[in-house]
Amino acid sequence: MAALFVTTVQAEITGLKVINNVYNRPVGEDMQGELNMTLTNSRGESRIRKIKQFSKELGNMEKKIMFFQYPADVRNTSFMTWGYDEAGKDDDQWIYLPALKRVKRISSDSKSDYFMGSDFTYDDLGDRHPSDDVHKVLREELFEGNQCYVVESIPKDEEYIYSKTITWIIKDKWIGVKKEFFDEDAELLKTLKIKKYEKISGFWTILHSQMHNVQKNHTTDMELKNVKINRGLSASKFTVRMMKRGIR
Amino acid sequence: MKKILFIIGVFLFLQEGSVISAQSTTFTGYIRDYTGILLKDDNDIAIMQDTLDLRIEHSRGKVAFKANPYIHSYPNKDQEIGLRQAFMDIYLDSVDIRIGKQQIVWGKADGVFITDVVSPKDMSDFLLPDFEEIRLGIQVLKMDYYLGDNTAELVWVSSFTPTTTPDADSIWYIEPSFAVTPTYDYTKKEVSSNLANSEVFFKFSAVTSMVDFEIMTGYMWDDEPTMHIKKSIDPTTNNLLLTGTPEYHRLKLGGGSFSTTLGGFVVRGEAAYYNGKYFSSADTMLVDGVVEKDYIHYMLGMNYSIWDVKTSLQFIQQKIQDYDENIVSDENEDTVTLLLARDFLRETLHFELFSYFDLNDSGSLIRPKVSYDLIDGFKVLVGLNVFNGEKGKFGQYDDNDMVYSKIKYSF
Repeated sequence: MAALFVTTVQAEITGLKVINNVYNRPVGEDMQGELNMTLTNSRGESRIRKIKQFSKELGNMEKKIMFFQYPADVRNTSFMTWGYDEAGKDDDQWIYLPALKRVKRISSDSKSDYFMGSDFTYDDLGDRHPSDDVHKVLREELFEGNQCYVVESIPKDEEYIYSKTITWIIKDKWIGVKKEFFDEDAELLKTLKIKKYEKISGFWTILHSQMHNVQKNHTTDMELKNVKINRGLSASKFTVRMMKRGIR
Repeated sequence: MKKILFIIGVFLFLQEGSVISAQSTTFTGYIRDYTGILLKDDNDIAIMQDTLDLRIEHSRGKVAFKANPYIHSYPNKDQEIGLRQAFMDIYLDSVDIRIGKQQIVWGKADGVFITDVVSPKDMSDFLLPDFEEIRLGIQVLKMDYYLGDNTAELVWVSSFTPTTTPDADSIWYIEPSFAVTPTYDYTKKEVSSNLANSEVFFKFSAVTSMVDFEIMTGYMWDDEPTMHIKKSIDPTTNNLLLTGTPEYHRLKLGGGSFSTTLGGFVVRGEAAYYNGKYFSSADTMLVDGVVEKDYIHYMLGMNYSIWDVKTSLQFIQQKIQDYDENIVSDENEDTVTLLLARDFLRETLHFELFSYFDLNDSGSLIRPKVSYDLIDGFKVLVGLNVFNGEKGKFGQYDDNDMVYSKIKYSF
């Protein structure tokens, strides 16, 4: 059980600055890895999802491709996202369905949707822009041996699925190691915990995270394996051609 | 028989695991039980089909091959063994070459075929099979040249394959209607395989942040034959005689499609101009009862999600140019499609309603279905096909309302 040690809130750093540091934490120019998701319901029954993912920073945008590998009926489905640093600019997204043999543009206006039936929404997966919320440092405290900022983030959009989130962020690494999500009635909805992170090729990388929906007692474990960073992935890999063919 | 043994042998091999990889060869696919029962009269069992569908892939560096053999097994008729696709890929720096039997899908429309005309269709069971099974694989040489997010695609179809139509004993067969039963002359129905009879298609497509678009052109055969009807008088009885001569004709077409996002909407459009189409005509001055006219076929559609329901709405129109009143078809044929879909239980329970509405003849095809993933890769689906109307492309099948189930295990 984590030992919590409360200290005085430091006045010299704002909540926005902390969250910006997390958002802008260097992650390398490109990354590839294999993502395994285990969805476990309240009866202890599990379903597995396996994805290969590739991403690359290109100036003020990030391109990402995911290839679904398991279960068998979604194998070779791929999903490409072009994300932009510019606040308010929506992502561009495409999906390739091998049964239809067609790449379809899809709307990105669904960041509150849950990703592949997991407990993670698309926003939870890390791309929510800091300017979408108002941030406030509540306190500093020791969490699982790390000195953390505890930051409360309240969405500017009152219709957003969460009324607020509280994040524990390691001070010198800018990694959020725990996050609590509160529903529209201000009740605790979900808890995210980072189970494992490592420095790979000089970049802090989250390798195992666990999201627990406390209201439905449903859990998603997300494990990243065979991570490779800065291997010089070409920008030409992030195209419709590769969505159909698969990156080799 | 050897084919059956080969496929069964591969299947038995596969039972050892869900995905088998041996020297970068993968075997995947599915087994499916498909049963359909008509809702009218004696509740005849219209579909009783078990399918083994295999996907075999092997790659080595810049080359790969893929094959998709299948067996459909029926209780009361011969097994159907086929090869949906079998092709080789060659991957060069900026060019992909695909040679062999393949299905080709173009355009942005769902459930209708506007610029998506390279692969002919298997209409044996009307529009009801999955779209993966409706398109026929054809012998093609396809070259894709890539420049950034732009693609130039050249397709050469060496040998013409027509649309497959329902057998005469099928519930989907519609008897041609004539005042006098014609005799048929099939001497012009064959399109021999030679260079002059091949088909060529070209498409340029671009993917940008603002919009995706395609521009295409084709020199092709009409996948459905035109029935030329010649009239004559029997000199001995003075009765009217009709001679029907089905014949395939060349078509030229140019078209394009686009897709873009507008707020939370995805807005799509697709259009094609066809030159060289023959339409049946009641003009008694015509020698063989058909007239050549150009026509435009287009679609405007949008997708939107509201209350977790994915919706897709399309308006489709086919408009004959320089129309004359003797043409049997309407000048404008208007169709609307509507898709509503929603997932429950963490995307394991899926509801979908896809409908066609024929605005000319007040007919429709309503297709609700629900599927549930019992375990990963094992899906049970129950659906309805409800035809409404008295005539037209959907109303003519008003007696074919059907409840059906599909139990599918993917490996």
